[in-house]
Amino acid sequence: MFVHLQGPWSPLLGRLSAEQLPFLHIPIIEYTFAVVVLLGLVVVGAVTYLGKWGYLWRGWLTTVDHKRIGVMYILIGLVMLLRGFADAFMIRLQQAMAVGPHSPGYMGAIHGYLTPFHIGQIFAAHGLIMVVFAATPLLVGLMNIIVPLQIGARDMAYPYLNAMGLWLTAGGAALVMASLFIGNFAHGGWYGFVPYFELSYSPGVGVDYWMWAFQLSAIGTSLGSINLIATIVKMRAPGMTWMRLPIFTWASLSTNLIALTSFPVLMVSLALLGLDRYLGTHFYTAGMGGNLMLYNDLFWIWGHPEVYFLILPAFGIMSEIIPTFSEKTLFGYATMVIASFAIGGVSWGVWLHHFFTMAAAPSVNSFYSVTTMLVGIPTGVKVFNWIFTMYRGRVRFELPMMWALLALFLLLVGGMTGMMNAFASNDYMWHNGIFVVAHFHMMVLLIAASIFGAVEYWFPKVFGFRLEQKWGKLFFWFMVLGTGFVFVPMFILGLAGMTRRLDYIPYAAWAPYMQIEMIGIALYVMALAFFLAHLYVSLRDRSKNLAEADAWGTGRSLEWMTHSPVPSYNFAITPHINTRDEWAWRKENGLTELHAGEYEPIHMPKNTGVPLVIGAFFFALAFGLTWRIWWLSLISVVLIVLMIILRSFQKDTDMTIPPEEVERTEKRAIDTLYPSSRADVPVYPGGTVGTATAYQRLSASEDVGVSSTGTLPHASVDR
Amino acid sequence: MSSSAVSIDPKTASLWARHYPGHDFIGTRTFGFWLYMLTDAMVYAALFASLVVLSHASNMIGGPTPKNFINPIYAYGETIALFASVLTYGLAMVNLKKGSRSGVTGWILLSAILGVVYLGLSITDNTHLFQQGITPQTNGFLSAFFAIVIYHALHIVVGVAWMLVMLIQIATEGFSQNVVYRLINLRLFWHFQAVIWVFVFVFVYLQGLLV
Amino acid sequence: MDPQGLIAKTSYHYFLLDVGIMLLIVVPTAALAIWAMIRYRKGGKGTYQPKWAHSWTIEAIVWGIPLITVGVLSYLSVKAIYAVNPYNPGAISQAQKKAGGDPLEVDVIATDWRWLFIYPKQHIATTNELVVPKGIPVRFRLTSTSVVNDFIIPQLVGMIDVMPGMRTKQALVSDHIGSYVGFSADYSGAGLSWMHFTTKVVSKHQFSSWVSTIQTDPQKLTLNGFNRFARPYIPVGEKSQPKFGEVQQGLFDLVVNEVMKGKTWKTPMDMTENMVAYLNNQNELQKEGYY
Repeated sequence: MFVHLQGPWSPLLGRLSAEQLPFLHIPIIEYTFAVVVLLGLVVVGAVTYLGKWGYLWRGWLTTVDHKRIGVMYILIGLVMLLRGFADAFMIRLQQAMAVGPHSPGYMGAIHGYLTPFHIGQIFAAHGLIMVVFAATPLLVGLMNIIVPLQIGARDMAYPYLNAMGLWLTAGGAALVMASLFIGNFAHGGWYGFVPYFELSYSPGVGVDYWMWAFQLSAIGTSLGSINLIATIVKMRAPGMTWMRLPIFTWASLSTNLIALTSFPVLMVSLALLGLDRYLGTHFYTAGMGGNLMLYNDLFWIWGHPEVYFLILPAFGIMSEIIPTFSEKTLFGYATMVIASFAIGGVSWGVWLHHFFTMAAAPSVNSFYSVTTMLVGIPTGVKVFNWIFTMYRGRVRFELPMMWALLALFLLLVGGMTGMMNAFASNDYMWHNGIFVVAHFHMMVLLIAASIFGAVEYWFPKVFGFRLEQKWGKLFFWFMVLGTGFVFVPMFILGLAGMTRRLDYIPYAAWAPYMQIEMIGIALYVMALAFFLAHLYVSLRDRSKNLAEADAWGTGRSLEWMTHSPVPSYNFAITPHINTRDEWAWRKENGLTELHAGEYEPIHMPKNTGVPLVIGAFFFALAFGLTWRIWWLSLISVVLIVLMIILRSFQKDTDMTIPPEEVERTEKRAIDTLYPSSRADVPVYPGGTVGTATAYQRLSASEDVGVSSTGTLPHASVDR
Repeated sequence: MSSSAVSIDPKTASLWARHYPGHDFIGTRTFGFWLYMLTDAMVYAALFASLVVLSHASNMIGGPTPKNFINPIYAYGETIALFASVLTYGLAMVNLKKGSRSGVTGWILLSAILGVVYLGLSITDNTHLFQQGITPQTNGFLSAFFAIVIYHALHIVVGVAWMLVMLIQIATEGFSQNVVYRLINLRLFWHFQAVIWVFVFVFVYLQGLLV
Repeated sequence: MDPQGLIAKTSYHYFLLDVGIMLLIVVPTAALAIWAMIRYRKGGKGTYQPKWAHSWTIEAIVWGIPLITVGVLSYLSVKAIYAVNPYNPGAISQAQKKAGGDPLEVDVIATDWRWLFIYPKQHIATTNELVVPKGIPVRFRLTSTSVVNDFIIPQLVGMIDVMPGMRTKQALVSDHIGSYVGFSADYSGAGLSWMHFTTKVVSKHQFSSWVSTIQTDPQKLTLNGFNRFARPYIPVGEKSQPKFGEVQQGLFDLVVNEVMKGKTWKTPMDMTENMVAYLNNQNELQKEGYY
């Protein structure tokens, strides 16, 4: 039934044994392990000392509140971003040290300080972490926080499922982290190669780690996409017709449609690889009737939609930030929506451009080359639309705007090189080369830039205070410099014909470029320091930077119509939507009341610990499968199924917030901001007609424009 | 399409949806389940694509061609059992509309029994093949063949388990909102598996017989 | 980016066209973005019209420009693909007519982590060294023993995947005498960084004398010998690579068939956890005739 393994196996511990703990005998990992253990102890100690375990459990670990889940997603993303960056640093250092046949070697390596086996693991970990455990959670977290706010919903359609998605992703991330200290990770690229990832050529547990971490994340992301689509379709506030949706919500819808349709294919491609590795089937083997190109096809049918899954929310973020800081509505709203869906649609027909060189017929290559170029049309349209949004506006260069504009310029560079890659004849020259690497790093840095912009932009909405700008600007400029220094040489090297994943570069002539890239990495490290300073200073001075509901003064969409930080129920009374940029329209007409007199009881989902426990069992299942500890896997599966069934028997999954408590919360939000009277309310720059202040204390009799029934034309009220 | 086409008078516009009833619970749940089924359909699509890719003569190295080992009798029996099960489940839903607890329980029980019959046939068929040395480990084609057949059978297992859980819940809770939406989703799931079985039957069994 | 072969030159020509057209679009766009940023900054000169959000003229332009660009580029791309298609490059066919005679045939087998070049007509084989005559079209058949590799000589010819159990083709014509680097571009494991070979382009006369030199080499290569040769081996800093004066007929097809029937050359656990120790071990094994 099961395949024959190299190396020992015991029923109790599977393949696990003392030799499999590299922190016992590899210096780099020893130090890392010490630091991680220390950090873990510090965190646990701090929480215990402050007596916050109960708060953590009740407020965060068991929460089903979409904002807190989003924040936790973003935290996972940031932690993994750091880890991925550390990997990138090690790759760069190795390549800078190992140039030319006479470069010295240390620690068992011939050149540089990492053996091929290790740098392979670092490459794979860097790629997988950055794509699946950094960019994806960051974006999913942002969508989780913002989308329900933008459509005027109280929560997601399925809050419990939302938490499930989070803990599955966390389980995958934990598995990648575990691979650092227990056993080893996959030592190929971040996307598998078959037959290289078959048991014959990757006999260790690395590929299994990679596979199960990937699989958990895929399941989590699929669940999340179901949730977000259902939320957007079903949970919109009355009057929120399709053409009044904020653009970020549109972007989320298109991106989640991509995720929904493509992630299952990834699951299949990984599951078949798993069958090959565990049961000895022949899906992807070179011999015995397997077909190794099948894996490439299946994987990239997911893989290319996946990168658009990452970039569409980034475009959505840019489309939110640029109008806000241009103090003007978005140019060509309908076009933007069409372009998003066009990108999503085309994404399904381009996957073959990842392996133009596999000797497909020229007609096939031509087809995929042309479809790949088609992506350039909607993307180009988007760029022009952003430019025309700024045109005749009043552009304010605050941090979010700077990030968004950086993203725009990176998109120009990345788009241009993308068009070069789409040219299949060029691809024959630099397929698998550093040029391609530089191209997609331009694209993911665009995503990263818009994520940083989004964090700056929506941070006050979630936490109630703005981030300071001085350190933030330093961080921004060092990121720009670092990007230039790392990737311009990379483009040049790519044209010179350097390929990916080399642990040793045989040509001494390339050394200067490597050293310039090292400078770039050093700049990135400084940027990281500034980023930490930025966070620290912001936290320290948070009382000086308290944000009103409309934190930037020129917000346009619905999320700026509730307090910062957002109360758990989002909106005390569900708003009724009248126009596309509802909040901007209300400000123009002086309708800036945030509450409507009498409050009503609000129905909300209850916290539950089930998703966390199920996530933990999934981690145990994946860990057991990785090490082939069959009893652990079996117990985990049984427990997961039991938990799911038992949860379905729970009846008290909801609660109701009484109106008195809603009123108390609303009052508290206002009193935090304006402890005395309204006299010292700052007037915003860029306020439009009427007062730009968001809060006026009214008594219940002074209701403004409250009606209980929507009797408007064009206002579709959901059932 | 332009944003200022509809000008709403700010003086009379309604700003807050008071007493907004929220969303339709059962509708939202079933919509989500449709989305889940789309993902499952994509999984099947990928598996079928793999089967097509792995159906060439070169993928059948060291194993029999499907003509020689596929037993149409079993597959036909499985088809009848599954479709009958779907029919009985449909009758259960008719009884749900009437609100008859005993009717729903009885018909669902029958569906579950038919599901078990299907599984019995499937398991017998596959053990026969295994005994002849026709296993997923033989070659690429058989890997894909068994992947689809067994993946579908696993769905039936899940469906039968779900039915049993629902029987308990109907007995304990009656037709509460939760139970009703689960019954509707189970109907979707069960019909969907039958639809997939049509594809399995046609493209795996019948095509294997003819080609 | 210094093309010396027919195919590489064709690619380069199209590459320049592509870059030119893209620059034509991207540079003005960037300029426009910077202009909009500066002119319409807060307190700047630009007029402020917060309601202005749509114009059919601009709409037509922003859709039109990318459409036209992509149209032109697509046309060029398709042309380029057909021109450098590895299976039947038009350029090579023309060169064939010019040169007359037969093309040189070379069978390439990629192992972990060496390149074996078999000249079936000359029944010789070399490792990590490809010698071709100038001006004569060379037709390759490629396969791999273990994992997928990519065959490329950047200055002469583009890339083609080299897959186990399958045969791919590539062809090249070189116009200048010289020595060029070729390597594997697809990740194949621990020895990837050392998996490069030299391509020497020599005159016809030199080529025939080189062939006769190799033919006198006493080493023979049979299928059994090849199966030893194909075991995982990292050629670090080797001065002389094995050459074979006599090669079994049809070895290439035999290897493809073996792999199709499920032969694998397994990689040991934790390959090159310690590179230095691994190499010492490899040298020991080599002395024992393991490879």
